[in-house]
Amino acid sequence: MSVNFQVEEYHRPQSVGQAVDILSRFANSAGVIAGGTDILPLRPGVQKIDTIHHLVDISKLGLDYLKKETDHICIGAATSINTMGASPLFLSNPYGALSDAAGAHSTATIRNRATVGGNLCTASPCGDLALPLLVLDAILVAAGPEGERYIPIESFFRGANFSALNKEEVLLEIRIPLCSQKTGTSFLKLRRHQTAIDMAVVNVATSLTCKKKRCEAAGIALGAVAPIPFRAKKAESMLAGAKLSKEIIQKAAVTAAEEARPIDDVRATSAYRKKMVAVLVRRSLENSMRRCGQ
Amino acid sequence: MKKVEIKIQVNGKWYELAVDPGDRLIDVLRDRLDLTGTKEGCGEGECGACTVNLDGQAVLSCLILAAQADGCTILTIEGLQRGPELHPLQKAFVAESALQCGYCTPGMIMAANALIRKEPEPDEETIRKHLSNNLCRCSGYARPVKAVFKAAKDMKEDINA
Repeated sequence: MSVNFQVEEYHRPQSVGQAVDILSRFANSAGVIAGGTDILPLRPGVQKIDTIHHLVDISKLGLDYLKKETDHICIGAATSINTMGASPLFLSNPYGALSDAAGAHSTATIRNRATVGGNLCTASPCGDLALPLLVLDAILVAAGPEGERYIPIESFFRGANFSALNKEEVLLEIRIPLCSQKTGTSFLKLRRHQTAIDMAVVNVATSLTCKKKRCEAAGIALGAVAPIPFRAKKAESMLAGAKLSKEIIQKAAVTAAEEARPIDDVRATSAYRKKMVAVLVRRSLENSMRRCGQ
Repeated sequence: MKKVEIKIQVNGKWYELAVDPGDRLIDVLRDRLDLTGTKEGCGEGECGACTVNLDGQAVLSCLILAAQADGCTILTIEGLQRGPELHPLQKAFVAESALQCGYCTPGMIMAANALIRKEPEPDEETIRKHLSNNLCRCSGYARPVKAVFKAAKDMKEDINA
Protein backbone atom coordinates (compact mmCIF):
# COMPACT_ATOMS: atom_id res chain seq x y z
CA MET A 1 0.00 0.00 0.00
CA SER A 2 0.99 3.60 -0.43
CA VAL A 3 -0.71 6.90 -1.18
CA ASN A 4 -3.61 6.74 -3.59
CA PHE A 5 -1.94 8.63 -6.40
CA GLN A 6 1.11 7.88 -8.53
CA VAL A 7 4.23 9.42 -6.97
CA GLU A 8 7.31 8.95 -9.16
CA GLU A 9 9.81 10.92 -7.14
CA TYR A 10 10.17 12.54 -3.73
CA HIS A 11 12.36 15.64 -3.66
CA ARG A 12 14.01 17.07 -0.57
CA PRO A 13 15.46 20.42 -1.61
CA GLN A 14 18.08 22.02 0.65
CA SER A 15 17.02 25.60 -0.01
CA VAL A 16 14.03 27.61 -1.18
CA GLY A 17 15.90 28.31 -4.42
CA GLN A 18 16.29 24.59 -5.06
CA ALA A 19 12.61 24.01 -4.30
CA VAL A 20 11.62 26.66 -6.85
CA ASP A 21 13.99 25.12 -9.42
CA ILE A 22 12.47 21.67 -9.00
CA LEU A 23 8.94 23.08 -9.19
CA SER A 24 9.86 24.99 -12.36
CA ARG A 25 11.42 21.92 -13.94
CA PHE A 26 8.38 19.72 -13.37
CA ALA A 27 5.84 22.56 -13.50
CA ASN A 28 2.59 20.73 -14.06
CA SER A 29 3.51 17.41 -12.52
CA ALA A 30 4.94 18.69 -9.20
CA GLY A 31 3.25 19.50 -5.93
CA VAL A 32 4.52 20.97 -2.68
CA ILE A 33 4.24 18.90 0.49
CA ALA A 34 4.84 20.12 4.05
CA GLY A 35 2.67 18.55 6.76
CA GLY A 36 1.01 16.32 4.15
CA THR A 37 -2.33 16.22 5.93
CA ASP A 38 -4.22 17.68 2.95
CA ILE A 39 -2.38 16.09 0.06
CA LEU A 40 -1.87 12.50 1.28
CA PRO A 41 -5.55 11.59 1.72
CA LEU A 42 -6.45 12.73 -1.81
CA ARG A 43 -7.73 10.02 -4.10
CA PRO A 44 -7.44 9.54 -7.87
CA GLY A 45 -10.09 11.37 -9.80
CA VAL A 46 -9.27 14.61 -8.00
CA GLN A 47 -8.02 16.71 -10.88
CA LYS A 48 -5.41 18.35 -8.72
CA ILE A 49 -3.72 15.08 -7.87
CA ASP A 50 -3.98 13.08 -11.08
CA THR A 51 -1.19 15.08 -12.67
CA ILE A 52 1.11 15.16 -9.63
CA HIS A 53 4.05 12.75 -9.85
CA HIS A 54 6.71 14.74 -8.02
CA LEU A 55 6.41 15.76 -4.38
CA VAL A 56 8.64 18.60 -3.23
CA ASP A 57 9.09 18.56 0.55
CA ILE A 58 9.49 22.04 2.04
CA SER A 59 9.14 20.93 5.66
CA LYS A 60 12.89 21.03 6.34
CA LEU A 61 13.77 24.41 4.84
CA GLY A 62 13.68 26.30 8.13
CA LEU A 63 10.24 27.70 7.35
CA ASP A 64 8.87 26.90 10.81
CA TYR A 65 9.24 29.99 12.96
CA LEU A 66 7.33 32.77 14.68
CA LYS A 67 8.94 36.19 14.93
CA LYS A 68 7.89 39.61 16.10
CA GLU A 69 9.41 42.39 14.01
CA THR A 70 9.05 46.14 14.46
CA ASP A 71 5.89 46.51 12.41
CA HIS A 72 4.64 42.96 11.86
CA ILE A 73 4.56 39.41 13.15
CA CYS A 74 5.97 36.73 10.83
CA ILE A 75 4.72 33.16 10.70
CA GLY A 76 6.85 30.75 8.67
CA ALA A 77 4.65 28.90 6.18
CA ALA A 78 5.69 25.47 7.47
CA THR A 79 4.92 26.26 11.13
CA SER A 80 2.56 23.66 12.55
CA ILE A 81 -0.88 24.89 13.52
CA ASN A 82 -0.34 23.68 17.10
CA THR A 83 2.89 25.66 17.40
CA MET A 84 1.12 28.80 16.24
CA GLY A 85 -1.93 28.17 18.40
CA ALA A 86 0.16 27.74 21.55
CA SER A 87 2.33 30.80 20.94
CA PRO A 88 2.01 33.59 23.53
CA LEU A 89 2.13 35.99 20.56
CA PHE A 90 -1.43 35.11 19.64
CA LEU A 91 -3.01 34.13 22.94
CA SER A 92 -4.15 37.62 23.77
CA ASN A 93 -5.55 40.46 21.78
CA PRO A 94 -5.41 41.85 19.21
CA TYR A 95 -4.63 38.44 17.70
CA GLY A 96 -6.95 36.22 19.76
CA ALA A 97 -8.88 35.11 16.68
CA LEU A 98 -5.79 33.30 15.41
CA SER A 99 -5.45 31.05 18.45
CA ASP A 100 -9.25 30.53 18.46
CA ALA A 101 -9.04 29.33 14.86
CA ALA A 102 -5.98 27.17 15.51
CA GLY A 103 -7.83 25.42 18.33
CA ALA A 104 -10.90 24.84 16.17
CA HIS A 105 -8.96 23.38 13.24
CA SER A 106 -9.29 19.55 12.94
CA THR A 107 -7.83 17.74 15.98
CA ALA A 108 -4.74 18.11 18.15
CA THR A 109 -3.09 15.11 16.47
CA ILE A 110 -3.53 16.47 12.94
CA ARG A 111 -2.49 19.97 14.03
CA ASN A 112 0.91 18.58 15.10
CA ARG A 113 1.65 18.12 11.40
CA ALA A 114 -0.75 20.42 9.51
CA THR A 115 0.91 23.73 8.70
CA VAL A 116 -0.34 27.30 8.61
CA GLY A 117 0.85 27.78 5.03
CA GLY A 118 -0.72 24.51 3.95
CA ASN A 119 -4.10 25.52 5.31
CA LEU A 120 -3.93 28.68 3.16
CA CYS A 121 -2.50 27.04 0.01
CA THR A 122 -5.22 24.38 0.01
CA ALA A 123 -7.54 27.38 -0.43
CA SER A 124 -10.53 25.52 0.92
CA PRO A 125 -13.73 27.60 0.98
CA CYS A 126 -13.96 26.78 4.70
CA GLY A 127 -10.26 27.00 5.66
CA ASP A 128 -10.21 28.07 9.30
CA LEU A 129 -6.99 30.08 9.39
CA ALA A 130 -7.89 32.19 6.35
CA LEU A 131 -10.56 34.08 8.27
CA PRO A 132 -8.56 35.61 11.14
CA LEU A 133 -5.77 36.39 8.67
CA LEU A 134 -8.31 38.14 6.43
CA VAL A 135 -9.51 40.45 9.20
CA LEU A 136 -5.90 41.05 10.29
CA ASP A 137 -4.96 42.10 6.71
CA ALA A 138 -2.14 39.58 6.45
CA ILE A 139 0.40 39.76 3.63
CA LEU A 140 1.67 36.51 2.14
CA VAL A 141 5.25 36.23 0.93
CA ALA A 142 5.86 33.82 -1.94
CA ALA A 143 9.09 32.85 -3.71
CA GLY A 144 9.23 32.05 -7.41
CA PRO A 145 11.74 32.04 -10.29
CA GLU A 146 11.59 35.86 -10.42
CA GLY A 147 12.24 36.30 -6.72
CA GLU A 148 9.86 37.10 -3.89
CA ARG A 149 6.49 38.75 -4.16
CA TYR A 150 3.93 39.96 -1.66
CA ILE A 151 0.30 38.97 -1.98
CA PRO A 152 -2.36 40.62 0.20
CA ILE A 153 -4.47 37.79 1.59
CA GLU A 154 -7.62 39.30 0.10
CA SER A 155 -6.34 38.60 -3.41
CA PHE A 156 -4.84 35.20 -2.55
CA PHE A 157 -7.99 33.09 -2.84
CA ARG A 158 -9.17 32.74 -6.44
CA GLY A 159 -11.69 29.91 -6.28
CA ALA A 160 -12.52 26.72 -4.43
CA ASN A 161 -9.14 24.99 -3.82
CA PHE A 162 -7.45 27.47 -6.11
CA SER A 163 -5.02 30.17 -4.99
CA ALA A 164 -3.01 32.98 -6.56
CA LEU A 165 0.22 30.97 -6.27
CA ASN A 166 1.76 29.90 -9.56
CA LYS A 167 2.80 26.29 -9.97
CA GLU A 168 6.46 27.10 -9.50
CA GLU A 169 5.96 29.25 -6.42
CA VAL A 170 6.38 28.39 -2.73
CA LEU A 171 4.66 30.22 0.10
CA LEU A 172 7.35 31.34 2.55
CA GLU A 173 5.79 33.48 5.19
CA ILE A 174 2.63 35.09 6.51
CA ARG A 175 3.04 38.65 7.78
CA ILE A 176 0.54 40.18 10.14
CA PRO A 177 0.78 43.95 10.55
CA LEU A 178 0.98 44.91 14.22
CA CYS A 179 -2.37 46.33 15.21
CA SER A 180 -3.58 48.64 17.91
CA GLN A 181 -4.13 47.30 21.41
CA LYS A 182 -7.62 48.75 21.08
CA THR A 183 -8.40 46.03 18.54
CA GLY A 184 -10.26 42.90 19.54
CA THR A 185 -10.59 39.87 17.25
CA SER A 186 -12.58 36.69 17.51
CA PHE A 187 -13.24 33.51 15.52
CA LEU A 188 -16.23 31.18 15.69
CA LYS A 189 -16.88 27.92 13.88
CA LEU A 190 -20.08 25.97 13.59
CA ARG A 191 -19.70 22.28 12.80
CA ARG A 192 -21.96 19.29 13.18
CA HIS A 193 -20.15 18.01 16.27
CA GLN A 194 -18.40 20.74 18.15
CA THR A 195 -15.52 18.65 19.45
CA ALA A 196 -14.98 16.25 16.58
CA ILE A 197 -12.97 16.57 13.41
CA ASP A 198 -15.18 18.14 10.79
CA MET A 199 -15.15 21.02 8.39
CA ALA A 200 -17.13 24.15 9.14
CA VAL A 201 -20.80 24.51 8.29
CA VAL A 202 -20.07 28.21 8.69
CA ASN A 203 -17.00 29.93 10.16
CA VAL A 204 -16.45 33.62 10.79
CA ALA A 205 -13.77 35.95 12.12
CA THR A 206 -14.34 39.53 13.19
CA SER A 207 -12.24 42.42 14.36
CA LEU A 208 -13.25 45.68 16.00
CA THR A 209 -11.10 48.65 16.88
CA CYS A 210 -12.97 50.89 19.27
CA LYS A 211 -12.47 53.91 21.42
CA LYS A 212 -15.15 54.60 24.00
CA LYS A 213 -17.73 52.46 22.20
CA ARG A 214 -17.05 54.34 18.96
CA CYS A 215 -15.96 51.89 16.28
CA GLU A 216 -12.93 53.09 14.36
CA ALA A 217 -12.55 50.05 12.12
CA ALA A 218 -14.32 46.74 11.65
CA GLY A 219 -13.50 43.52 9.85
CA ILE A 220 -15.84 40.62 9.13
CA ALA A 221 -14.66 37.53 7.24
CA LEU A 222 -16.95 34.66 6.26
CA GLY A 223 -16.08 31.06 5.41
CA ALA A 224 -17.92 28.08 3.91
CA VAL A 225 -20.55 30.37 2.36
CA ALA A 226 -18.90 31.13 -1.01
CA PRO A 227 -16.24 29.53 -3.26
CA ILE A 228 -13.62 31.48 -1.28
CA PRO A 229 -13.35 32.94 2.22
CA PHE A 230 -14.05 36.66 1.90
CA ARG A 231 -14.65 39.96 3.72
CA ALA A 232 -18.26 41.13 4.11
CA LYS A 233 -17.55 44.72 3.13
CA LYS A 234 -21.11 46.08 3.31
CA ALA A 235 -21.53 44.87 6.86
CA GLU A 236 -18.11 46.25 7.82
CA SER A 237 -18.94 49.69 6.46
CA MET A 238 -22.08 49.83 8.60
CA LEU A 239 -19.93 49.52 11.72
CA ALA A 240 -16.99 51.76 10.82
CA GLY A 241 -17.46 55.12 12.50
CA ALA A 242 -20.66 54.05 14.25
CA LYS A 243 -21.40 54.03 17.96
CA LEU A 244 -21.53 50.36 18.88
CA SER A 245 -24.83 49.10 20.20
CA LYS A 246 -26.73 45.84 20.25
CA GLU A 247 -28.91 47.09 17.39
CA ILE A 248 -26.12 48.09 15.03
CA ILE A 249 -24.28 44.81 15.64
CA GLN A 250 -27.45 42.88 14.87
CA LYS A 251 -27.95 44.92 11.69
CA ALA A 252 -24.39 44.31 10.55
CA ALA A 253 -24.79 40.59 11.23
CA VAL A 254 -27.94 40.43 9.08
CA THR A 255 -26.19 42.37 6.31
CA ALA A 256 -23.26 39.93 6.44
CA ALA A 257 -25.74 37.08 6.00
CA GLU A 258 -27.09 38.82 2.88
CA GLU A 259 -23.58 39.01 1.47
CA ALA A 260 -23.11 35.25 1.88
CA ARG A 261 -23.62 33.06 -1.20
CA PRO A 262 -23.76 29.57 0.25
CA ILE A 263 -24.68 26.31 -1.46
CA ASP A 264 -26.63 23.28 -0.25
CA ASP A 265 -24.38 20.36 0.54
CA VAL A 266 -24.00 17.34 2.80
CA ARG A 267 -23.25 19.54 5.82
CA ALA A 268 -26.11 22.05 5.63
CA THR A 269 -28.56 23.80 3.37
CA SER A 270 -27.90 27.21 1.92
CA ALA A 271 -30.78 28.72 3.89
CA TYR A 272 -29.50 27.34 7.18
CA ARG A 273 -25.99 28.61 6.48
CA LYS A 274 -27.30 32.11 5.84
CA LYS A 275 -29.19 32.11 9.12
CA MET A 276 -26.13 30.87 10.96
CA VAL A 277 -23.93 33.57 9.42
CA ALA A 278 -26.12 36.17 11.14
CA VAL A 279 -25.89 34.37 14.49
CA LEU A 280 -22.15 33.71 14.34
CA VAL A 281 -21.26 37.21 13.15
CA ARG A 282 -23.32 38.75 15.97
CA ARG A 283 -21.69 36.56 18.61
CA SER A 284 -18.23 37.05 17.19
CA LEU A 285 -18.65 40.84 17.08
CA GLU A 286 -19.80 40.77 20.69
CA ASN A 287 -16.68 38.74 21.56
CA SER A 288 -14.47 41.16 19.66
CA MET A 289 -16.05 44.08 21.50
CA ARG A 290 -15.42 42.46 24.87
CA ARG A 291 -11.86 41.76 23.84
CA CYS A 292 -11.10 45.35 22.95
CA GLY A 293 -12.07 46.21 26.47
CA GLN A 294 -15.27 48.04 25.55
CA MET B 1 9.95 5.27 -9.60
CA LYS B 2 12.95 6.48 -7.64
CA LYS B 3 13.52 4.89 -4.22
CA VAL B 4 14.27 7.09 -1.24
CA GLU B 5 16.94 6.11 1.28
CA ILE B 6 15.85 6.78 4.85
CA LYS B 7 17.14 6.14 8.35
CA ILE B 8 14.56 5.98 11.10
CA GLN B 9 14.66 4.99 14.74
CA VAL B 10 11.70 2.82 15.65
CA ASN B 11 11.20 1.68 19.25
CA GLY B 12 14.84 2.33 20.05
CA LYS B 13 16.33 0.57 17.03
CA TRP B 14 17.73 2.28 13.92
CA TYR B 15 16.67 1.03 10.49
CA GLU B 16 18.11 1.95 7.10
CA LEU B 17 15.56 1.40 4.37
CA ALA B 18 14.93 2.20 0.73
CA VAL B 19 11.28 3.17 0.40
CA ASP B 20 9.00 4.07 -2.48
CA PRO B 21 8.35 7.81 -2.74
CA GLY B 22 4.63 7.22 -2.18
CA ASP B 23 5.00 4.93 0.85
CA ARG B 24 3.40 6.24 4.00
CA LEU B 25 4.92 5.75 7.43
CA ILE B 26 2.23 3.20 8.30
CA ASP B 27 3.14 1.12 5.22
CA VAL B 28 6.74 0.91 6.35
CA LEU B 29 5.86 0.14 9.98
CA ARG B 30 3.41 -2.62 9.11
CA ASP B 31 4.72 -4.12 5.88
CA ARG B 32 8.47 -3.66 6.18
CA LEU B 33 9.09 -3.78 9.94
CA ASP B 34 6.21 -6.14 10.73
CA LEU B 35 4.97 -3.83 13.49
CA THR B 36 1.30 -4.59 12.96
CA GLY B 37 0.20 -3.16 16.30
CA THR B 38 -0.37 0.12 14.50
CA LYS B 39 -3.70 -0.22 12.70
CA GLU B 40 -4.96 1.38 9.54
CA GLY B 41 -8.60 2.43 9.77
CA CYS B 42 -9.73 5.07 7.33
CA GLY B 43 -6.37 5.93 5.78
CA GLU B 44 -7.32 9.57 5.53
CA GLY B 45 -6.80 11.07 8.97
CA GLU B 46 -10.30 10.79 10.36
CA CYS B 47 -10.09 7.80 12.72
CA GLY B 48 -6.76 7.97 14.56
CA ALA B 49 -6.23 4.18 14.62
CA CYS B 50 -2.76 4.67 13.10
CA THR B 51 -1.55 7.18 15.73
CA VAL B 52 2.13 6.78 16.68
CA ASN B 53 4.60 9.11 18.42
CA LEU B 54 7.06 10.91 16.16
CA ASP B 55 9.76 12.79 18.05
CA GLY B 56 7.45 12.67 21.07
CA GLN B 57 4.37 14.04 19.33
CA ALA B 58 1.19 12.15 18.52
CA VAL B 59 0.86 11.98 14.73
CA LEU B 60 -1.14 9.97 12.21
CA SER B 61 1.13 7.52 10.42
CA CYS B 62 -1.25 7.39 7.43
CA LEU B 63 -0.70 11.10 6.79
CA ILE B 64 3.10 11.11 6.77
CA LEU B 65 5.30 9.97 3.93
CA ALA B 66 7.90 7.47 5.12
CA ALA B 67 10.45 9.66 3.32
CA GLN B 68 9.46 12.59 5.52
CA ALA B 69 10.18 10.60 8.69
CA ASP B 70 13.85 10.35 7.76
CA GLY B 71 16.00 11.01 10.83
CA CYS B 72 13.03 10.86 13.20
CA THR B 73 12.43 8.84 16.34
CA ILE B 74 9.24 6.81 16.23
CA LEU B 75 7.50 5.02 19.05
CA THR B 76 4.73 2.51 18.32
CA ILE B 77 2.56 0.47 20.67
CA GLU B 78 5.11 -2.37 20.52
CA GLY B 79 7.81 -0.12 21.95
CA LEU B 80 5.81 1.26 24.84
CA GLN B 81 6.39 -1.61 27.23
CA ARG B 82 9.83 -1.69 28.84
CA GLY B 83 10.78 -4.99 30.45
CA PRO B 84 8.36 -7.74 31.38
CA GLU B 85 5.62 -5.51 32.78
CA LEU B 86 3.01 -3.70 30.72
CA HIS B 87 3.26 0.08 30.44
CA PRO B 88 1.00 1.96 32.94
CA LEU B 89 -1.26 3.03 30.05
CA GLN B 90 -1.67 -0.57 28.89
CA LYS B 91 -2.31 -1.71 32.45
CA ALA B 92 -4.90 1.01 32.98
CA PHE B 93 -6.73 0.12 29.74
CA VAL B 94 -6.90 -3.49 30.95
CA ALA B 95 -7.90 -2.55 34.51
CA GLU B 96 -10.67 -0.23 33.32
CA SER B 97 -11.84 -2.62 30.56
CA ALA B 98 -11.39 0.32 28.22
CA LEU B 99 -11.72 -1.71 25.03
CA GLN B 100 -13.99 -4.12 23.25
CA CYS B 101 -12.73 -5.03 19.80
CA GLY B 102 -9.44 -3.25 20.47
CA TYR B 103 -8.86 -1.93 16.95
CA CYS B 104 -8.72 1.69 18.10
CA THR B 105 -6.73 0.93 21.27
CA PRO B 106 -3.12 1.19 20.02
CA GLY B 107 -3.94 4.58 18.49
CA MET B 108 -5.70 5.76 21.64
CA ILE B 109 -2.83 4.67 23.87
CA MET B 110 -0.21 6.33 21.68
CA ALA B 111 -2.26 9.54 21.56
CA ALA B 112 -2.58 9.42 25.36
CA ASN B 113 1.14 8.69 25.79
CA ALA B 114 2.11 11.85 23.91
CA LEU B 115 -0.40 13.84 25.96
CA ILE B 116 0.88 12.59 29.33
CA ARG B 117 4.50 13.23 28.32
CA LYS B 118 3.59 16.83 27.54
CA GLU B 119 1.05 17.33 30.30
CA PRO B 120 1.64 14.95 33.22
CA GLU B 121 -1.60 15.94 34.97
CA PRO B 122 -4.26 16.33 32.30
CA ASP B 123 -7.81 17.07 33.42
CA GLU B 124 -10.80 15.21 32.03
CA GLU B 125 -11.63 17.81 29.41
CA THR B 126 -8.07 17.83 28.09
CA ILE B 127 -8.13 14.05 27.81
CA ARG B 128 -11.49 14.09 26.03
CA LYS B 129 -10.33 16.73 23.58
CA HIS B 130 -7.11 14.87 22.99
CA LEU B 131 -8.85 11.57 22.27
CA SER B 132 -11.31 13.22 19.89
CA ASN B 133 -9.13 12.19 16.96
CA ASN B 134 -9.49 8.52 17.94
CA LEU B 135 -12.75 6.97 16.86
CA CYS B 136 -14.11 4.08 18.87
CA ARG B 137 -17.11 2.36 17.33
CA CYS B 138 -17.88 -0.09 20.13
CA SER B 139 -17.28 0.88 23.73
CA GLY B 140 -17.33 4.66 23.64
CA TYR B 141 -15.09 6.97 25.55
CA ALA B 142 -16.04 6.86 29.24
CA ARG B 143 -13.68 3.99 30.06
CA PRO B 144 -10.73 5.08 27.90
CA VAL B 145 -10.93 8.53 29.49
CA LYS B 146 -10.93 6.93 32.96
CA ALA B 147 -8.01 4.72 31.95
CA VAL B 148 -5.90 7.64 30.72
CA PHE B 149 -6.69 9.54 33.90
CA LYS B 150 -5.60 6.57 36.01
CA ALA B 151 -2.45 5.99 33.94
CA ALA B 152 -1.41 9.63 34.26
CA LYS B 153 -1.70 9.30 38.04
CA ASP B 154 0.21 6.01 38.10
CA MET B 155 2.95 7.38 35.87
CA LYS B 156 3.38 10.38 38.14
CA GLU B 157 3.63 8.14 41.20
CA ASP B 158 6.15 6.00 39.33
CA ILE B 159 8.35 9.00 38.73
CA ASN B 160 8.04 10.13 42.36
CA ALA B 161 8.69 6.65 43.75
